[in-house]
Order: sequence, then C-alpha cells, then structure tokens
Amino acid sequence: MSQQQLVEDIIREVLKNMYKTPQGAAPAAPAASAAARGLNPATDYPLAAKRPELVKTPTGKTLADITLEKAINGEVKPEDVRISPETLRLQAEIADGVGRNQFASNLRRAAELTAIPDDRILEIYNALRPYRSSKQELFAIADEMEFKYNAKINAAFVREAAEVYERRNRLRAD
Amino acid sequence: MRKQKRFEVLAARPVNQDGFVVEWPEVGLIAMGSPNDPTPSIKVQNGQVIEMDGIARDKFDFIDQFIADYAIDVSITEKAMAMEDTAIAKMLVDVNVSRDEVVRLVRGLTPAKIVAVLDTMNVVEMMMAVQKMRARKIPSNQCHITNVNDNPVLIAADGAEAAMRGFDEMETTVAVVRYAPFNALALLIGAQTGRAGTLIQCALEEATELQLGMRGITAYAETISVYGTENVFVDGDDTPWSKAFLASAYASRGLKMRFTSGTGSEVQMGYAEGKSMLYLEVRCIMVTKGAGVQGLQNGSVSCVGVPAAVPSGIRAILAENLCTTMLDLEVASSNDQTFTHSDIRRTARTLMQMLPGTDFICSGYSGVPNYDNMFAGSNWDVDDYDDWNIIQRDLKVDGGLRPASEDEVIAVRNKAARALQAVFKELGFPAITDAEVEAATYAHGSKDVPARNVVEDIKAAQEMMNRGITGLDVVKALAKNGFNDLATNVLNLLKQRISGDYLHTSAILDKDFNVISAVNSRNDYRGPGTGYRLSEERWNEIKTISQAIKPSDFDV
Repeated sequence: MSQQQLVEDIIREVLKNMYKTPQGAAPAAPAASAAARGLNPATDYPLAAKRPELVKTPTGKTLADITLEKAINGEVKPEDVRISPETLRLQAEIADGVGRNQFASNLRRAAELTAIPDDRILEIYNALRPYRSSKQELFAIADEMEFKYNAKINAAFVREAAEVYERRNRLRAD
Repeated sequence: MRKQKRFEVLAARPVNQDGFVVEWPEVGLIAMGSPNDPTPSIKVQNGQVIEMDGIARDKFDFIDQFIADYAIDVSITEKAMAMEDTAIAKMLVDVNVSRDEVVRLVRGLTPAKIVAVLDTMNVVEMMMAVQKMRARKIPSNQCHITNVNDNPVLIAADGAEAAMRGFDEMETTVAVVRYAPFNALALLIGAQTGRAGTLIQCALEEATELQLGMRGITAYAETISVYGTENVFVDGDDTPWSKAFLASAYASRGLKMRFTSGTGSEVQMGYAEGKSMLYLEVRCIMVTKGAGVQGLQNGSVSCVGVPAAVPSGIRAILAENLCTTMLDLEVASSNDQTFTHSDIRRTARTLMQMLPGTDFICSGYSGVPNYDNMFAGSNWDVDDYDDWNIIQRDLKVDGGLRPASEDEVIAVRNKAARALQAVFKELGFPAITDAEVEAATYAHGSKDVPARNVVEDIKAAQEMMNRGITGLDVVKALAKNGFNDLATNVLNLLKQRISGDYLHTSAILDKDFNVISAVNSRNDYRGPGTGYRLSEERWNEIKTISQAIKPSDFDV
C-alpha cells in the first residue's frame, strides 16, 4: 500500500470534515466490588494447580473429571468446559489481591452473565451499541437482567448506559 | 533543472517512497503535544470526579465520563495530579522505584497528565520504563497466520511452524468472511501441533468472534476496538458500555480477551478534534482500564501510516505502549502492519519494543509470506525469520523466537496438515487430498499449494456453525484418528476456560498448559541483575544457529 496515498487521503478527508458539532453532558456512578474470601495470589494462583478443589464446572465436575477418555465417550459435554460463576468470583478475588480492581469488577459482572444464554448475550450486546435501543428498551433489558437472571451489577450498568446514551443522543431515534 | 547525482540516488531509496507530512495540529496530525490538548486538571467532590482536564462534569462526553468514573482512583488523584510531570517521569526510569509504586500513582492520573509526563521522556527513557513496567516478567511474541485463499491446510501447516518457532499467541483472519470457522479450526490444530499450549484467535466482527470463542474453536480474542473520541467510537458502532459488556461476556465464557486501539485511528476516521494522537490514545487505554479488560493491543496497529508520517510519531507509538504498561495492562505492542519501504526504518521502529521486551512484541509478526498476510501485510514476516533470530543473538535479547531446523519444520507442518485432513474427513467436510498435505508441508505460501473448491469449503464452514461443532468435536475427531496427543492438547486448551486462570493479565501457557501471567510471573525488574534474564537454556537456544561455523567444520 502506498503511504503517500494514505497520508494524502487523510488530508483530503480531514479537509472535508473540518467542522464537527460538539455536544452537551451529565453524571453516573461506578460499580462496587464484593467481599473477599481470603485467597492469596501468591499461594493460591493458578487455581487449577494450587487450589483445584475450589474449581468446579457449572455441572459440578472437577478439572480431574475432564479427561480425554470421557471426552471421547461423550461423558464430557460442552457445558462441562465452561466457567462457573463461583470460579469467576474466586478469580476476581485474585485480581483484587494484585490490585487490579477494575479487572475484578469485570470478572464479577461476568459471573452474573454466566446465567444468560449465548444468543441472548449477543442480542444484549447489539442492543447496547449506539442508536440501537430506546431508553425504555434498555431499561427493560436491565429489568430482565436483574429479575430473570439476578444480574444486579449488570442491570445497574445497563441503566447507567441508558442515561448516558440519552444525554449524549446515542439512543435510537424513532 | 539539472539533477544532482547524489539527490537522484537518495530519491530512489526505499525510505523516499514512504509518506511524510508536516504537523497539522488543527486536524490531529500531530503525534504528541497538540496546542489543543487539554491542560491536566482534576476536581473531586463527594468521591466523584467533577472536573477532568479542564472539562466540567456536565460537559463530559461519554469517554470522559467513563474514564472519570471507572479509571481514576479518586482516593489518590489529587495528590498524584499535584506532582511535577518530570518527577513522575523520573520514577518511571528510576530502578530504585518499584513497578508497584508507579502503578499505584498512575491510577490517580488523568489522560492529559499522563501525556504531559510521557512528553518529558526520550525514547531511551521510555524503553527503560517499558522494561520495568511491562506486566509479565517474561516477554513474548504473537503472529498472524492467514493466506489469500483461506486455504485451511496451509493455515494448519503455517500455524504449526510458527508455534514451533516460538509464538505464544497466533491470530488468523479471513479473506472471505464465511471461511472463518475453517480458518479458526485449522489454526487451532496447527497451533496444538507446533507447540502444545499456543493460544489462538480469529479476528472478525465482534459478535462472530465471540461466537467462535464460545464454541471452543478459538482460545482468546483481541479485535475489540476502542477509540479516543466519541464520534469515532460511535462510527465504530460501539460505546464504552457496549465494549465493557462485551468484555464481561467473554470472561463469562471463560475466554481471555484484550481490547485494541492505536494512535492515528481518530485522524484516519476524520474526528480527531484537533487533539494529539497520543492524547486520544491515552483515553483509549484508560477506557480499557475502566472496562476491566486485562490488556490492550496498541501501538497504532493498522493506522501506523499516520503517526509514522509525522515528527516523533514512532516515539508516540512507544509512549502509548508504555502508557499501557503503566496502567498495569498487558500490552500486545503492534509492530504489525507494514508502514515503510525501508528495512532500516522498520527495524528501528521495532527495536523500541524488542529491546525492553513487551508482553507481545509483535501483534503480530507475519507467520506467512507478506503476500498471504490478510492483515494488510506486516512489518515482519517469514522471510525475516533468520534476521529476527540473529538480532536476538547479536544483542542477547529475547524476542520470543528460536532458530528451527528444516527437518523439524517439515515434520510439524506435515503432521498438522495430516491432522486437519483427518478432522475434515471425520466431520464430513470436503476432502483434503494427500497431494494437498504434501504441498502444504513443503510450501512457502499459497502460490505453492493447489486450489481448493471454495464454494464447497464455504458451504461446509457454514455447516460447521449450523451443526454446532465445538472444540469437543475436534477433540473426538483427532483422537479417533490416532492423534491422541493433539486431542489432549485441544482438550487441555478447553479446560483453561473452566479454571479461568488464563483470564488474568498477560497470561500465556507453557507446553504443559501451566499459566504464566502477571500474577505468578510478575515483572520484578529493579535494575541490572534483576527482572527477566535469559536462562542458560534459552540463551543456548538463541545462539545456536546453523549458519555459524565451528572449528570442527575445518579438517586441518
């Protein structure tokens, strides 16, 4: 590719787009993290090697239960190679233990999302993209998260997004 | 005008085919320090940021708000912001100040303040800082595995070779979108053949990428882009909230992921708001931090032509990598897309990350010839394998690769191609012939392999998704055909998503599937004699090149 061409294209493009419209603004609140269970990153991580007894699949199996033999004869199913909400919360503790609080919050949101089916996750993601949803639709998703899936942190997060999108004109214009 | 001969020679040099432009701050064509960049400031009231970098809270755009609420530690911000820029910069390069101490302080800094700190540093100081601030103790490297025809046999063979040569992560993408499931499957098998535990991804549109991950065909994701201005973010069809949700969605399925951003993207997309490239990029890094993502691919990435065209642009790229490490994130430091015709210039650009070492020096290095690279070419490719290895040897530096013999390369390429052949047969996909296996084994690129029936392949690739084929089906297919070792490797890769250990910052896997991350392999650099040093074993691997003559070669 010609770099000269790229630079020229950019200059042309920016000349065309010299005037952009700014917009107004408002507030919101961050997410909180949960209480610790006393895991120590130095002695308990990686969990698979150091604390295997704490790691269970959503179907109640241990890591040792997931063997090649069982995979071949069909005893291991796709739902057996998924992470459980409990494990995600343990990993959040490890993350907090090394001072990575935002990462820990992400893992706690993830723990809640394990309850939501794959297809619905993809739909919610699309609904959160700009101009896809009305405020009411986002609030309905938040209610669904909170009451159907007990995903309270995520529900608050989606409600916050709805407020921000409203203030910044990123809701779907009907 | 009569031509001066020397100027004729210089004009013909590769570097003079590159594009350069003078600084033009009004439109964002400036690497660092635009006069329009905000002046650092912070005001906190009742535990909430009410002003950041000269903007009052009620005027925040959605990026400002996300950063203020999720990426800034209000408990220390006023103290941190009160420090002199050079005082913070000196802490970054001072071997007597620990990484942890710097990380704690940086949590309180705003985007404009971080930019001001970085702008006091030259590239050598920045490299010293990266050496200390990189999250994982051991540096590593990532590659691209693609080809113009999406030939799956070749992807498996190239993936196997690249994994064996040392890449801990490998990324594929597509020429034709509907080929994606096959590309991912072929790379999965190639990776586990070349070196057990190699992580793979397939770069696609966000939702599809997540779907392949959920199925257990890929092991991580990276193409989750964030941007530094609200307009560009929206043009990219996302917001910090949608991207943060996506990040949690990945983690909820036990999948490692990182975001992607880079200087120049806002200029290229036409909405830089007159801000410097680095200022906008620091906002991206802080959005990533706020979203709780473990890491970021940055270093301009696919927009490298833009910073590379302006003064100090390559320095700004190093600065953005450094900023990522300061925020305690994994950095996959680009060195990927082609940006210059000059071999000298492309090498100089890469030394910035290769010498201090980053979590992934390239993201990625082309594990295929440049004509087969579907990420628009890379700064480094397979033709440079020996150059890379010899630079490692010259400088005694770990760039993540190792010399490989022709015999071992032939062996792993062949095994991967055969394994894919067996899996295709087992799953009822269009046959891979022995001739194709042979061709892929000995090929340099897609010009050396026979064409496949694309229509049939694409149909089957769609079927693979419709039938709900998962990683477990791949395990079974491999085992049934005598590839028990590979079946075990794929299963072990799937098991990573049960424990979630590899979700953590800068995680890679060793050949026994042990996680090496910035939790159990934390960078403890504190000056000479500390931090990552080449082991005797690793140094022997690097220095043993077949090109070196030995006294025993002489019969005197």
